[in-house]
Amino acid sequence: MEGVRSLLVESLKKYGMPFPVDSNVCTGWTRDLPKRRETIIFTSCMYQIEPIVPRLTKFSSVAGSLKGLSPLAKLIKPSKTELERAYNILNNIVSALKRKGIDLGYLYEDEPYSGAILLELGLLEEFANHAKAVYNKLKEYGVKRVITVDPHTHNALTRYKEFISFDVDVMNYLEVVSSNKKVEDEYTIHDSCLYSRFLNLRERYRSIISDSGIKLKEDLLITGKETSSCCGGPIAGVNRDLSEEIAKRRASDLNSLSSKLLVLCPICYVTLSPYFKGEIKDLAEVIL
Amino acid sequence: MTWEIAINRTIRNNVPRVYNVLERHPYIKDLALELRKAKLDVINNLEKYVEETVESVKRIGGIPHVVSDSHEAREVVTKIIGERKRIIMGKSMVAYEIGLREHLKRLGKDVWETDLGEFLIQLANEPPSHIIAPAVHMSKERAEELVREALGGLSEDATHEQIVARVREFLRDKFINAEVGITGANAISADTGSVILVENEGNIRFTTVSPSVHIAIAGFEKIVPTLPYAMMEALVQAAYAGLYPPTYVNLTSGPSSTGDIEMKRVSPAHGPKEFHLILLDNGRVKASKDSELSEALLCIRCGRCHLHCPVYRVLDGKWGTPPYSGPMGAMWSYIVYGNANHSLLCTHSGGCKEVCPMKINIPKVLERIKSRAWMQGKEVL
Repeated sequence: MEGVRSLLVESLKKYGMPFPVDSNVCTGWTRDLPKRRETIIFTSCMYQIEPIVPRLTKFSSVAGSLKGLSPLAKLIKPSKTELERAYNILNNIVSALKRKGIDLGYLYEDEPYSGAILLELGLLEEFANHAKAVYNKLKEYGVKRVITVDPHTHNALTRYKEFISFDVDVMNYLEVVSSNKKVEDEYTIHDSCLYSRFLNLRERYRSIISDSGIKLKEDLLITGKETSSCCGGPIAGVNRDLSEEIAKRRASDLNSLSSKLLVLCPICYVTLSPYFKGEIKDLAEVIL
Repeated sequence: MTWEIAINRTIRNNVPRVYNVLERHPYIKDLALELRKAKLDVINNLEKYVEETVESVKRIGGIPHVVSDSHEAREVVTKIIGERKRIIMGKSMVAYEIGLREHLKRLGKDVWETDLGEFLIQLANEPPSHIIAPAVHMSKERAEELVREALGGLSEDATHEQIVARVREFLRDKFINAEVGITGANAISADTGSVILVENEGNIRFTTVSPSVHIAIAGFEKIVPTLPYAMMEALVQAAYAGLYPPTYVNLTSGPSSTGDIEMKRVSPAHGPKEFHLILLDNGRVKASKDSELSEALLCIRCGRCHLHCPVYRVLDGKWGTPPYSGPMGAMWSYIVYGNANHSLLCTHSGGCKEVCPMKINIPKVLERIKSRAWMQGKEVL
């Protein structure tokens, strides 16, 4: 375990991410945003990098991926299609925020990682240290408010104040945007565990979805707040077999409702994709 | 595959039923909130409440025993039982926690579990997979096979009803001839020393009344301030387990007694001559003083969190150290056995905290235990 901890910390120090990642992959989605603004979009490179995570964790755990694949990881890039999809989602979100009159910045290669993996693995001391570093970076750029785009980053940043003194406002794009399209279609939904049960956004995004015209196919035992299951993604770094088994069962349950699925998290998308028989779309691809 | 079939059937049978119970009896949620407050008070003053319980048990003619660990608990039980041979048990997680059945069998006692689920577990020689439905991992087909092999007298393709009837027939003799009955406790009232036991089968009534000695064994956290709170715990537990109203709620205050001659209370009467209450620490006091863990002691063992946990559902009931499985089990495996590793498998899906009647933030407690797993530095990943 000690090895895993030091490898994670080392990678965060060296690459700013838990895995070695080419920063162009993270920043390539925009050149249009100014760098210095009081309000910034905070991507944490989640949408951009998540497609390659299953390849990184093929050796069954964080230990496997870091020990076995780190030297190669820099060479592994999401495919062009995967990147285009991620970049499209981020640009849709930015457009939606701009439509709300938000003057938005982006830190590009200086954007730090949220530290979500440290928090979720229980490396709490390391998380607190990482949070301090992120806070210092945000202060250096005069940032007063960050707008997150995924549940794991949002959760990590909203929890900073439990660990450090933190006076930057944290919002999620779902709290701000409205639907920009009329979509006459029917989907089922896989809720993000964090958005739905920890971050109080479940009713908010359901309302945006409803405004767009989308009909959701729901079922008490499959999409209920208390009953819907995790996609399995967050446990992949600890036990890949367990993660895949959860994903298989979850996809099968969701398929029993529909062959069209809406997700709100890049980890859910990547984890469920191999097993869901049909079309999976991120909310920001469909209604923004 | 058997597990997947069994757990899916269990969820379909149980989860909608719990929602129906809570909708039909909205006062249950209020009782749960009130109970949480009372239990918090006990957790914050655990040793004081243990002392009060001890005094109350003495006052009603029972014999209290306060034990610090599993070894001491087994020793106390051994002494109480003495030369007696025939023992029946009503399902008790604490009895499992201290390895009591196996201990008594090693001493050459004739020991039988009387709860159907626990009886199946005994026949299969397997650990329990759920806190209130210990044989939830067994499909009906597997239970049928076990009973047929162990007891015979079961036709091919026996129904659920026929399996239950065959076990009933076998256990009648054990109930009638038992010398000692051992049970757990769903709640214990500090002010009266009474033990509350909730059940549906009727086996606990037999176990607490038929033998001449009744031993109840429970963790400190089962203590509540007063008897009404103990009744409350029984009702809330049954409702959140989807078994409401429970068929039976048993209240035991000391050995049997009568007041029929000049209204003088005399003991024993028809039931047990001796009543022993064994209160077990096994890490509970330490946990009560640990602000990151103490919330776990609020658990009333309704087992609801299990059925809302994706990890439990996949891991074949084997997440946690028996008898403590599932999300609550990942917490309790650390409190009782010091095993922090189970926490690392929590995906923080959060269903457990949503459905917990005691509002325990289980993912948060497990997050703190994860941190300790890293500090222990064992190779678990």
